[in-house]
Amino acid sequence: MRRIFTLASKDLLETRRDRLALIFTVVMPIAFTAFFGLLFGGGSNRLPLAVWSGDAGPVATQLISQLQKSDVVTVQRVKKSEAEQNVADNKVAAALEIPAGFSAAVAAGKPAMLTVVGVSGSSGAQTATTEINALAGRAVAVEQAARAAVATGAGVPRSYPAGSRGGFNIAALAKARPIAAQALAHPAATMKVVEAGAAAGQVPSGFVLSSPGMLINFILFSITTAGVALIVERKNFTLMRLMTTRVRRSELIAGKILGMFALTFVQQIILIGIGQFLFGVDYLRDPAALLLMMIALSTVASTLGLLLASLLKTQQALIAATVLTSMAVAALSGAWFPLEITGPAFQFVGHLLPTSWILDGLRGIVLRGFGVPDVLPAFGFALAWALALFAIAVWRFRLTD
Amino acid sequence: MAIVEVLDLRKQYDPPKGVLAVDGVSFEIAEGEIFSLLGPNGAGKSTTISMLSCLLQPSGGDARVAGHSVVSDAQAVKEAIGVVPQDIALYPDMSARENLVFWGKMYGLRGEELTRRVDEVLELITLVDRQKDRVEKFSGGMKRRVNIGVALLHRPRVLYLDEPTVGIDPQSRRSILDGILALRDQGMTILYTTHYMAEAQELSDRVGIVDNGKMIAVGTNQELVDIVGAEAHVVLSVDHYLEGMVERWGQVDGVTKAMVDEEHAVLLVQDADEVLPRLFEAAAAAGARITEVSVTEPNLEMVFLHLTGRALRE
Amino acid sequence: MNRVLAIAFKDLRSTWRNVPALAMMLAAPLALSALLGFAFGGGNGGFSIAATKVALVNLDKAPAASATATPGATVAPAAAQPAVGQTVVGILKSKGLKDILTVTSKATAAAARKSVDDGKDAVAVIIPADLSKAIFGTSTSARSSIELYQNPTQTVGAAITQSVVGQSLLAFNGARAAALATQGLALASGNGAQAGALTQKAAQTFVDQSQSGSGGLTVTQRPPDLAGGKKSKDIGVTGLVLAGMMVFFMFFGASNVARTILDEERAGTLPRLFTTPTSRQLILGGKFTSTFLTVLVQAVILVAAGRLFFSIHWGALTAVSLLILAAAAVAASLGLMVISLVRTPAQAGAIGAGVYLVLALLGGNFSGTAQSGTTYATVQRLTPNGWLLVGWNSTLRGGGVGDILLPLLVPLAFAVVFFAIAVLRFRRRFA
Repeated sequence: MRRIFTLASKDLLETRRDRLALIFTVVMPIAFTAFFGLLFGGGSNRLPLAVWSGDAGPVATQLISQLQKSDVVTVQRVKKSEAEQNVADNKVAAALEIPAGFSAAVAAGKPAMLTVVGVSGSSGAQTATTEINALAGRAVAVEQAARAAVATGAGVPRSYPAGSRGGFNIAALAKARPIAAQALAHPAATMKVVEAGAAAGQVPSGFVLSSPGMLINFILFSITTAGVALIVERKNFTLMRLMTTRVRRSELIAGKILGMFALTFVQQIILIGIGQFLFGVDYLRDPAALLLMMIALSTVASTLGLLLASLLKTQQALIAATVLTSMAVAALSGAWFPLEITGPAFQFVGHLLPTSWILDGLRGIVLRGFGVPDVLPAFGFALAWALALFAIAVWRFRLTD
Repeated sequence: MAIVEVLDLRKQYDPPKGVLAVDGVSFEIAEGEIFSLLGPNGAGKSTTISMLSCLLQPSGGDARVAGHSVVSDAQAVKEAIGVVPQDIALYPDMSARENLVFWGKMYGLRGEELTRRVDEVLELITLVDRQKDRVEKFSGGMKRRVNIGVALLHRPRVLYLDEPTVGIDPQSRRSILDGILALRDQGMTILYTTHYMAEAQELSDRVGIVDNGKMIAVGTNQELVDIVGAEAHVVLSVDHYLEGMVERWGQVDGVTKAMVDEEHAVLLVQDADEVLPRLFEAAAAAGARITEVSVTEPNLEMVFLHLTGRALRE
Repeated sequence: MNRVLAIAFKDLRSTWRNVPALAMMLAAPLALSALLGFAFGGGNGGFSIAATKVALVNLDKAPAASATATPGATVAPAAAQPAVGQTVVGILKSKGLKDILTVTSKATAAAARKSVDDGKDAVAVIIPADLSKAIFGTSTSARSSIELYQNPTQTVGAAITQSVVGQSLLAFNGARAAALATQGLALASGNGAQAGALTQKAAQTFVDQSQSGSGGLTVTQRPPDLAGGKKSKDIGVTGLVLAGMMVFFMFFGASNVARTILDEERAGTLPRLFTTPTSRQLILGGKFTSTFLTVLVQAVILVAAGRLFFSIHWGALTAVSLLILAAAAVAASLGLMVISLVRTPAQAGAIGAGVYLVLALLGGNFSGTAQSGTTYATVQRLTPNGWLLVGWNSTLRGGGVGDILLPLLVPLAFAVVFFAIAVLRFRRRFA
C-alpha cells in the first residue's frame, strides 16, 4: 500500500517540477476562467438589440418604449445601415426594423410587418425575436382593442345623427387608447415565472451556467499531461525497471491512477474555488454533494487518461487522441452548449456519458438545490464507467513498447 | 601539402569562467592521409571536429581546410568537407535512397548528377538491394553505412568521422574500417576521432593525442612510440600488499614508472628481459607472491600513460 | 530555392506517413464537425430542437354563466364561453405546437412541480383557480397569475413556453382591454345604459380579429445583408462549425511540423544540416515553408471534404482562397512561434495544446453562431482565429473579397508579428 503512495507522489513531484507543464495545467485554466468570469460574470444578461424605426406613429412608439423597459433586451437606436452591419459583426444579438407605415397599417386593421435581422441559429436572435413578438403583440393589441371599442359606437353620444359620427370616432380613438394601454399594461391575467430550486437562491447568469461546463472541459483536457508522462516512462524503460523490484503490477497501476486522480482533484479545487469566491457560483451550497461530483469527475478523468496511455504508443498519438476525445466528450456532455438545443439523437448519446450526468449534477447543486440523494445516481453511473475504463486499461497495460 | 591546418584552436563555453574544452590545439593533415585524434572521453575531440565542421565558432585561433578559413569562409569549407557525426543523423521514416537523395540536394547536387552519385554511393556502401527500405528498419551496422554514405555524396576533399565504431559489433566494425582504408587508397583525406587505440594504430598515417583540451603529442605511430622509448608495459598481480609492492617496484632499476590500476600493478620498463627478474626478487624479498604477469611492447596506450600518468580508457 | 523546397517536401512526406498526425489534422476536424452537425439536426437550415416537455395543471373553474349583464360589469360571459384555463390548455396541446411542446397533464400543482424537480419536465404550467374569475369578473383590480415553474438550466425551453402562454393570455387580456375601453367611452358619452352589450360586442370583435388574423402582425426573421445591400444566403450551422474546427486543427498541424525543428535538433539531423553548404537561413526558411505548405494542404483538403461530404458552399472562389491562405499564414506562424519559445518537444505538446485551446475558446471556434453580443464580438476580435471566422461567416453568406478586407488584414498582421518573434528566437538559438 505504501508503495502505491510512493509511486503516486513521485509522479506528482515530477509534474510539480516540470514548471512549464504546471503552468499550463494549472495557471492557464485559472486565467481563462477568471477572464471569462470577468467578462460574463455578474450583471445583466440583457441582449443588445439594435432598433431602427421609419415610423413615428403611436404603435411604433409604444413598442419601442416597451422594449426599452424590457428585462430581456437593451435597445440601441441606430440607422438602417448600421443595423445590418451590427448584426453581421455580432455586436448585437438582433436588429428590429420597423417600416414606415407600420402604425398606420395597424390602425387601419391591415396586415403589419416587422422584420428581425438575426443570424440563423443564434439563440440570442431567437430570444430577442420572442421578446419582440410578445411586446409587439401587446402594442398591436392596444390599438386593436381601442379600435374594437370605437367600432361599437360607444364613443358617440346617441343623440347625434348618424352621418356626423365620424369626428367622434377619431376623438374616441384618442380616448380609448390610453384606457386600453393601461388595461394591457396591468392585465388581469399574468404569468409568474418561478425558478425551480429557487431555494438555491442563485440567479442563472451566463457565468453560472457555463462554469461547470468549463470545469469539465479543462479537467478532460489535462489528462494529456499525465498520460504523456506515462508514455515517456515507458520509453525510458523506467517502467520496466520498476517491475524488476518488488512492486506488483497492480500496485503500479494503482499508483499511476492515484497520481492522476490527485492532479485533477487539485485542479478542481482551484477552479471551483475561483468560481465560488470570485464569481459567486454557489458550489459550496452542498459540500457533500459537491465532493461526490468532484470524486466522480476525477475518477472518470484518471481512468480515461490511463486507458488512453495504455492503448497508445507515442506522445503524438496520445495528444491527438486526448484532444479529440476530450472535445467530443465535452460537446456531447453539454459543456459547450446546452443539450436542450440539440436534436433528440444527440441528447440520447450525450446522456450515455458519465460527464453529462456529472455536469447536470453540478448545475443542479448550484441552481436547483440538489443534495446528496439527488447526485447519487450520477455518482454511481460515473463510477460504473470508471470501473469499465479501468478494466480495459489494466487488460491493455504494457510495460514496454 | 597540408590540406588541413589547425592553428592554436581554442574553445571556451560560457566565458569567462566556463569550461575550456579546447585549449590551443594545433596540427596539420597532409592530403591523402588518415589522421586520427586519439584521446579519452571528454578530451575535446568532438569539440575540435565541431569547430572544423563550422558548427561551433572558435573562441580563439583558426583552422584552414583546403585553403579556406573556418572562421571567415565557412561556406567554402563546408563544400570541401563531408561530416559523419557520431550519432546516426538520418531520417528514420525515409528509405536509404530517399535519405541520400535529400542530403545530396542539401549538398547542392541536382538532376542527373544527383541520381548518378546516389547510385554510386549505394554501391559503395553495398546497400543497393535495400535502398527502398526505411532506415528505421536497418540494423545498427547498416545505419552506420548509410550515415557514412551521406557524407560521400558530394565527393568531399576531406572526410571527418567522429567515433564511427562506438557500440557496434566486430563484424560491422571491421567492414567500416576496411571501407575507410579503401577510401584513403582512392585519395581521400580522412580526419578520424576515436578513443580506441587499436583503431588509431591500425588506420592512421599520423596520430594526434589529445587530453584535457590540449594536443600532447603528434606524429606517426613510430614517432609517438619512440617517445616512450623502448619501454614495455608490464602488468602484474600479487596475492597481497599491492600498494606496497608498487612502491618498491618503482625503486627498481630500469623501471621508469609504476602505478596501481585497480587490482594490478602497471609498470613501464625499459628492457623487460632485464627488469623482470628484479621484479620477482623484489616481490620475494617483501614476502609477496606474483600471481600474474603480462608484458606488452610499446604502443599508443603506453604513450598516453607516459604523457599523462593515466590510462587511456578511464 | 530548390533546397528550401527539398526540405519542405521532405517534411510533407514525413507528415503524410505519420498516422497520428494525419488523424489530428484531417480526421479530427471532420469527425467533430460531423458530430456537431449531428447535434444541431444536421445539414443546412438551422436547429431542430427536441420538443420541450411541459407538465400542465388546470385548476381554473368555468365562470358561472349569467343571463343578464349588470351595470358596471365588464365582460359578461355568455353561457357557451369556455373557461380561460381550458382555452389555454387547448392552445398548448394544439397540433400546430406538437413539434415544439410535449404536454402532459397532471392532477395537482404539487405533482407538476415535482415533475420539474425530478427533471422529467422542463416547465410546469399551473393555471390557477381564479383565472376565469379575474378575466370575466367584475373587479377591475382582480389579478390572477399562471405560474411557470421552470428548470433554470433549460433556458430555451422555458422561453418558448413563456412565449406560447403569453400569446394566449394576450387574447384574453386584449378582449378585456377592449371591454374596459368600451366601458370608458360609453360612460363618457352618455351611453352607460348600453355598456353591458357594447362591452361584450367589443370583446367579441377583438377575439374574432385576433383569431382570424386579419390586421394581424407578422414578425419575420432574416439574416443580415452583406455590405452594399447585397442579400445574404441563409446558411446552416455546419459551414461555420467546420471552419472553426479547421482553423483549430490547423494550429496542431503547424505545431507538428514546427516541432520537428526540436526533434531534429535532438536527433542530430539539424546539426548535420548545418554542416552542409546550405546556409542556416535557407534551412530555417525551409522549415518555415514546410510548416506553411503543410497547413495549406490541410486546409484545402478540409475545404474540399466540406464541399463533398457536408455539401457546404464555401462562397466566392477568390475570397475563399484568400481566407485559406490567411489561415495557413496564421497557423504556421503561430506554431513556429510556440516552438521557438519552448525547449523540449514534450513542452511543445502540452503548452501548444493549451495555447490553441484558449485561442479557440475565445475566438468562438467551437460555438458556431451560438454566441452573440458585444462582449463576445469584442473578445472574438482579440484573436486572429476569431477574425478568420468573421471572414468565413461572410463568405458563407455570399460575401466577396470586398466584404472580408479586415478579416484578411488583421490575421495577416498577427501572422507577421508571430513570424518575426519566431525568427528572432530561432536566430538566437541557432546563431
